[in-house]
Amino acid sequence: MVQNRSRWDEVTDMMDVKSVSLGRYLAYWFDKSPRRTLHYMSYYKFASKIIGKNKRVLDIGCSEGLGTYLLAKECGFATGIDLDEDAINTARSNWDSSNIEFICNDFFSMPAGSWDAIVSFDVIEHIFPKHINRFWKGVLGNLETTGITIIGTPNETSQIHASSVSKKGHVNVYSMDRLEEEMGKYFHHIFCFGANDEIVHTGFHPMLHYLFAIGCKPRKSGGKECK
Amino acid sequence: MNDKHLNEKELWSEVASMLGNRSKSFGRHWSFNYRNDPKRLAFVLSRYKFAAKMACKNKSILELGCSEGIGAPILSEFALQYTGVDSDEEAINTAIENLPDPRFRFIKGDIFDGSFGQHDTVISLDVIEHIFEKYEQQFFNVILASLNKDGICIIGTPNLTSESYASSGSKAGHVNLYDADRLAHLMGQYFHNVFLFGMNDEVVHTGFLPMSHYLICVGCYIKTQRETNGTE
Repeated sequence: MVQNRSRWDEVTDMMDVKSVSLGRYLAYWFDKSPRRTLHYMSYYKFASKIIGKNKRVLDIGCSEGLGTYLLAKECGFATGIDLDEDAINTARSNWDSSNIEFICNDFFSMPAGSWDAIVSFDVIEHIFPKHINRFWKGVLGNLETTGITIIGTPNETSQIHASSVSKKGHVNVYSMDRLEEEMGKYFHHIFCFGANDEIVHTGFHPMLHYLFAIGCKPRKSGGKECK
Repeated sequence: MNDKHLNEKELWSEVASMLGNRSKSFGRHWSFNYRNDPKRLAFVLSRYKFAAKMACKNKSILELGCSEGIGAPILSEFALQYTGVDSDEEAINTAIENLPDPRFRFIKGDIFDGSFGQHDTVISLDVIEHIFEKYEQQFFNVILASLNKDGICIIGTPNLTSESYASSGSKAGHVNLYDADRLAHLMGQYFHNVFLFGMNDEVVHTGFLPMSHYLICVGCYIKTQRETNGTE
């Protein structure tokens, strides 16, 4: 018994790292809908696998950076950007390694960059349709010519099941068809995936809970050249 | 329920009459596969479904190594045209007999001939592992020659790590098995964007690749000749 105890101590010694805390957003979701954290992490895992290793990734709408850290760890380097100061402060307090950074800024006045990949989950449904072109131009203006963009957003058809808090902010909810068509204006190639809970697949679009679209080969007409 | 029917059998015969009276038969290859391991039909159709969802909507499709054309209906559900090529004459004849769709074209030919027109998407499942490494580049030359400027290529092949579980029949033909890294590296010579997926049974996923039974690689954004040579 004594020996077991000391072995466990050795194990806990190995786990002696700085604690991670959830801020007001993630703590709320963790209490209210703990499964959502699972789904959210699975979306980021999917993105990290699509992006691959040794890439520089921009996470637009990173909130408290829980997923940004996964991108940094799996892909090499990640920057999270969010307009919410509380969320960014939580993110910064959790992660301070050299392969991750956070910027508090809105998505319309981002400094131009040159990223291998841009990830943006749960953002476009919060952007008024009349401003969405500015969002896409921001994305294209920050992407390498061979860069890819992964957009995630809840499916229009799932909204009757959404909580009132979720619905409140959703001013521009997409169907797969509309997402594909809209992104097709900015990218030559669009690959569509969806998720039900944590499972990412390529099943029947109207029954997907969550939508992903991967855009590749940015169109010149929609990118930096376009003011 | 409709009470004008006297009984369930009559109801069913009305349903059946709506289904037409065509039949199809598997050829030698798929009859063997089905009798030997019926699960395999699910796995193979799932690969085609994934390919269809990735790059077939409103596109012209070329399949290199189509065998009996078992993937053609799924690939063409959203596609404009489908061309299948295989060197196995018997398999091609089965495909032509079973699938008389005007959008389908089946060609008995050597895939290395490469004169199958230009397409939006080239799909080749379970072919590359049968091609000796020294002809690998020639195989990709055919793929690239068959692709439009904004073409997409989808390659599927069993994972090298699954080889110890393969049947002796499968093993006999596998002269060039890939692991995920080598497949990604090869595709990366020809495409700027390469996406790797793993499959276990009929499930396509992005999990840990060394434990994936089967690999599917999607390539898009074709490199120029110079960019391709530069990656060597």
